[in-house]
Amino acid sequence: MKEVLAVMYREFLIRRTSPLWLFFDVAVPLLYLLMFGVAFDKALGLGLAIGGDSVSYNQFFLAGVLSMSCFGSAMNQSYGFFVDRDNGIFYEFLTYPMTRGQFLLGKILFQCLMSVVQCVLTLVAGVLMLEIGIQWEFLLLVFCVVIIGTAGWFFFLAIFAFLIRRNDTYNTAINVAYFLLMFLSSLFYPLENVPGWLKVLSYGNPLTWQTDALRFLTIGVGQIEFIVIESLCFGVFLLVSFWGAIRTLQRAI
Amino acid sequence: MPAHATHGTHGPSSHLRELLPLMIVSSFVGYRGVNIKRGGGKCKGGPGSNFPEMLVDCPSFSKPQRHMYDDTTAIDVVDLLKVFEKKNRAAVRAVDYISFRVRRGEIFGLLGPNGAGKSTTIKILTTLLPPTSGSASILGYDVVSHPLEVRKSICVVVQENAVELYLSVRNNLRTFGRFHGLTWSEIERRADGVSELFGLREHQHEKGVDLSGGLKRRVQVAKIFMIDTPIVFLDEATTGMDTFNKRATLQAIREESRKGRTIVLTTHMLDEAEELCDALAIVNHGRVIAAGSTDNVKSMGLRLLNVSLTFERLTNDILRFIHAYHPYKIETSDHSIEVKVREEEAALGILAGARQTGLLRHFEITNASLEDVFVELIDKKESVTS
Repeated sequence: MKEVLAVMYREFLIRRTSPLWLFFDVAVPLLYLLMFGVAFDKALGLGLAIGGDSVSYNQFFLAGVLSMSCFGSAMNQSYGFFVDRDNGIFYEFLTYPMTRGQFLLGKILFQCLMSVVQCVLTLVAGVLMLEIGIQWEFLLLVFCVVIIGTAGWFFFLAIFAFLIRRNDTYNTAINVAYFLLMFLSSLFYPLENVPGWLKVLSYGNPLTWQTDALRFLTIGVGQIEFIVIESLCFGVFLLVSFWGAIRTLQRAI
Repeated sequence: MPAHATHGTHGPSSHLRELLPLMIVSSFVGYRGVNIKRGGGKCKGGPGSNFPEMLVDCPSFSKPQRHMYDDTTAIDVVDLLKVFEKKNRAAVRAVDYISFRVRRGEIFGLLGPNGAGKSTTIKILTTLLPPTSGSASILGYDVVSHPLEVRKSICVVVQENAVELYLSVRNNLRTFGRFHGLTWSEIERRADGVSELFGLREHQHEKGVDLSGGLKRRVQVAKIFMIDTPIVFLDEATTGMDTFNKRATLQAIREESRKGRTIVLTTHMLDEAEELCDALAIVNHGRVIAAGSTDNVKSMGLRLLNVSLTFERLTNDILRFIHAYHPYKIETSDHSIEVKVREEEAALGILAGARQTGLLRHFEITNASLEDVFVELIDKKESVTS
């Protein structure tokens, strides 16, 4: 535990030095919700019909924003490997008295804390500024999904951060992947009426699994059986990514 | 070979021959008498000064023996192999069945030209890279099967500049202390001491990104003095430091060794290695071509001696008789001539001949420096390979 806390302490010290990082970590998803969400809400007028219910776009998009912030948060943290590698400190870290797993765990636990802060701010803004009705009784579960989601994406992205040596290549690859993952998911729109091929691809996307779970927990949209299956799939995705990240980290020199 | 250079000659030559193994011999010839300095070789009291074996991993020499671990052994490397497989390219043997042993409390130098396999060896020993085959252990812990135990026993100055660029110097020291399990009060106490020792006090609020290259390196090296791990790896640790800081760092390393820490260093600065190391291994093309105590390596097989002569004037006769001894290397400048020879007899013959000219004003015979031996060994190895 000492080792994990040491990694978190280091992450905290680094974040503290740059308010810009804090802004990016905490405020960007919020701005997304307030600007993008509000614009679409007004444009769509009556909102979206999902499973016989009608929900406003703001309500629908809230879970998308939470998912997006998990992914963005994980992306920032994984990009930190390149900064560490360029500084040379990455190699020194790997000689410190801790396991590779503790190293990754410390990094992700700190980032999960940031994600939970993001989540709270986003929910508060959604309720107070956009009048979104939220199922508060599931708040702890929402936090759990946010933490698991951030961890899953972080470990997944870490695999590529360790495999790809050039940060410009990584940047390009991840931005393209982010674009595809976002639009091949239930993040921006319901999947009920999209073309069949898009539906198939979207339901194979972990971002859809996470977003659907968050949507079910925040505004109650979705079928519980389906959400349970998607959550289990995300659990497998998390474990496989964690295993892959450790494997690639051991060969990252 | 001229007659006066053979064994059994009398006079100053035979007297000097007895002293040569000790050597430096330095003298002003003529009216100033003879000034002989003993102990030209490095005399060190560390545990490595009696390093027994001379491992030479070369086809023409014997195969290295397997070392057994005992409580005096800090690092044991046996038949270590590291092959890098690359797509569409021939596999590279960065480390080619090397073996060596480092004793506790010893300062051990791993020397070699660029690409010799030094850093790869260090990376294996510090658990950054797995070996392809062979074994390496740190205080008895295998680097592959017990990496965490190994990491608890070591600290490393990696070849790259490794400083947290966004953190202050003080916070660099603090995070390092936290990672190594120090308490907050201990961290502050040690950071004060280390800052003082490395002249970092006035820079402690500066961020890594604002430091010069030399200062970054100082911070990096200073970190290892925050903790007490029994083994320290220094990969080109003094690179980029100015003379004063380098001297202070070397002194601090020596102090740590006296306290019982084992230091393993790689460096291109052979004078630094010669001054600091109790024992060393010279590697080339991934193989150990010589190993043992620093004095043993310096004297091994080659018997290179430097003969420095200063004359009133240099004549063709002088050059001719020196060439008759087939020197390994000869350099002239103004009235001085520097000759490297392999045999004591040749050195003595040259000296005797030089005196006979009546023009000799100063002479000095010294053991070859580590750099001479290093170059000779690498050249020899290259010629064997080719």
